[in-house]
Amino acid sequence: MRLVTDGGSGRQKAAQGGTGWRHALRRMFGMPDYDAYLEHCRAAGHEPPSKGEYLAQFFESKGKGVRCC
Amino acid sequence: MTRLASILLWGGISALGAGAFGVLALSRGETLSAAWLLTAAVCTYAVAYRFYSKFLAARVFGLDDRRATPAERCNNGRDYVPTNKWVLYGHHFAAIAGAGPLVGPVLAAQFGFLPGTLWLVIGVVLGGAVQDFTILFCSLRRDGKSLGQMAKEEINHSAGITGMLAVLFIMIILLAVLALIVVNALKASPWGLFTIACTVPIALLMGWWMKRWRPGKVGEASIAGAVLLLGALVAGGWVAAQPHLASAFTHTATAITWMMVAYGFVASVLPVWMLLCPRDYLSTFLKITTILVLALAILVILPPLKMPALTPFASLGEGPVFAGKLFPFAFITIACGAISGFHSLVASGTTPKMIARESDARFIGYGGMLMESFVGVMAMIAACTLDPGVYFAMNTTPTGLAQASQVLSQAGFVVTPDIMHQLAAQMGEQTLIARSGGAPSLAVGMAQIFASVSSALGGRTLTALWYHFAIMFEALFILTTIDTGTRVGRFMLQEIVGHVWPRFGETSWYPSVLASSAVIVAGWGYFLYQGVVDPLGGINSLWPLFGISNQLLAAVALCVGTTILIKMGRQRFAWVTLTPLAWLVTVTMTAGWQKVFSADPKLGFLAHAASLTGSTLPGAQRLVFNDRLNTFVALLFMTVVTVLIVTSVREWWLVLSKRKVAVVHEAPFVESAYAAGD
Repeated sequence: MRLVTDGGSGRQKAAQGGTGWRHALRRMFGMPDYDAYLEHCRAAGHEPPSKGEYLAQFFESKGKGVRCC
Repeated sequence: MTRLASILLWGGISALGAGAFGVLALSRGETLSAAWLLTAAVCTYAVAYRFYSKFLAARVFGLDDRRATPAERCNNGRDYVPTNKWVLYGHHFAAIAGAGPLVGPVLAAQFGFLPGTLWLVIGVVLGGAVQDFTILFCSLRRDGKSLGQMAKEEINHSAGITGMLAVLFIMIILLAVLALIVVNALKASPWGLFTIACTVPIALLMGWWMKRWRPGKVGEASIAGAVLLLGALVAGGWVAAQPHLASAFTHTATAITWMMVAYGFVASVLPVWMLLCPRDYLSTFLKITTILVLALAILVILPPLKMPALTPFASLGEGPVFAGKLFPFAFITIACGAISGFHSLVASGTTPKMIARESDARFIGYGGMLMESFVGVMAMIAACTLDPGVYFAMNTTPTGLAQASQVLSQAGFVVTPDIMHQLAAQMGEQTLIARSGGAPSLAVGMAQIFASVSSALGGRTLTALWYHFAIMFEALFILTTIDTGTRVGRFMLQEIVGHVWPRFGETSWYPSVLASSAVIVAGWGYFLYQGVVDPLGGINSLWPLFGISNQLLAAVALCVGTTILIKMGRQRFAWVTLTPLAWLVTVTMTAGWQKVFSADPKLGFLAHAASLTGSTLPGAQRLVFNDRLNTFVALLFMTVVTVLIVTSVREWWLVLSKRKVAVVHEAPFVESAYAAGD
């Protein structure tokens, strides 16, 4: 079975309106992706936070990451 | 591909690489094309990736795609997300690539292009990429645990604490050195300072855009930020041409130091979305784009290398850029690009939480580091396209240049004040003499390469624009590292103090935020200040300290990797991590010992302090104090890592002699849902 991962499968998703590339770029540059998170919450059966809460948590978490020299 | 075709292909690549190395090693006295460097490097990377990384993945680590990764098992849609390997490669590369692979090779060009290039290529294949891949694999099997946590669990508790303290000390030196590079690039440069100053309001605007005005629209905000940044770059040229405006942006190195310290403190205490995140996005976009453009430009014009393969300073050890002989100093001057301990923090940070299947770790861990080494080779090319006389005039103080003048003239590295004046005018600067730190000379090299490509469009004017673009590019992501490093250092300090005063450990308690930020900023600010006022230029003493500390962190990571391999019962493969570990320990301990105890005042801290004792020169007492402080720091790093190595060796002996049961702290095996049906 082909492994379908977030932000991947390039041409196929690009053909569906470029969503795949947008997700891929967001993931590559470490940007928030609320739509993808909503999708995850739906699949996992979680109650999603509001967009504002999601963004606040996302940026706070990003601020703890290390950037190399 | 048939077996014969494969043998022919890889045999051909190997022969091409060997031939290119032969040309580099044997040619003397003639100008070489950068194509030889690129060919030698790329062929070596290809062979190493195809064969050595495959051996590591299959035989040493036994990567297993049937095993669910943390991203699959702990998928929370935020930190733990299975991610396409190409996307994650870009994400990982953006996190590991900074100023280090650009600046280190430029400084090491003092020895000629050959030693640094050999270390970049061989070091990455056998050391740096192995370290990154090993730590990524270890963390992947432990739910994305950090290096410190793995040291604590797999070696012992004290090893974990020692590792954490080592990271904190190393971070302080690292931030000071990086800040010094920016200070040296921006002093007396109104164009550069104006452009960099503009990045602060631009980042604030971007923060407001993506958090308040158009929540989550980071792409839009980043494009707007990039356009404004280019506008600021062009406006900087105009500002520098207006005498009354230029004077407002012309400052001494000391004044810029205080600005940097204030900036670091503010960036650490402000909400992360306001300044840190937008600047990070801006610098990531610029970094990836510029590196791609530089690679393309070098491939298009294949510039000639004006620096010889070896300079007299390789054996004399009296180099004006930094003191010390080729061994061991070439190997600590180039850290990132060959092997960097800091990468182990990224490889045990966000990346292992996003890997979709175990086999992807090879491409991301090993392949990502090969790309960083390639960036280092490009920086070496950019530096070696400069006339050697110009290179040495830019990278040392006038005093240092005068002391080395006899060797320089014997080697034919001649430069006149007129040449330097013309070059400065061409780059839109007042002077380029004594712009140590590597960034300005890299910027001149990059500007000349870019201008060669774009000469049809504007010639001289574009050279100045490209120079300041390169300075902005380097300063921007160094400042990003300073932002994030100060903040991460603040978190670490809060955690450490939080063990004895729990309230202080609350990362949102403002008195704690202010106090811990002030301590971290004061730490790197002090070393920065002493570097700025150092008559030898600062880089001479601080860069070796940074190199030693970064390589010692790599030694810590390799100790953890070796311990885990032995506990996994793979001791027959422990040489893959023990070989680079033994080399790093030899190099760093030799360099540390020489920096402290060498009888040469230009090299040894204590000898330099002794030469100043009783001196009536202004500031002599402060220099003596700084030398003693540097001695303390170097010995502290060496002691901390020695303790960790001894602790690790004891653990290996206990396990191998069966005096202790080997317990690995891997997450339990869970079959991957992705593998079903394979």
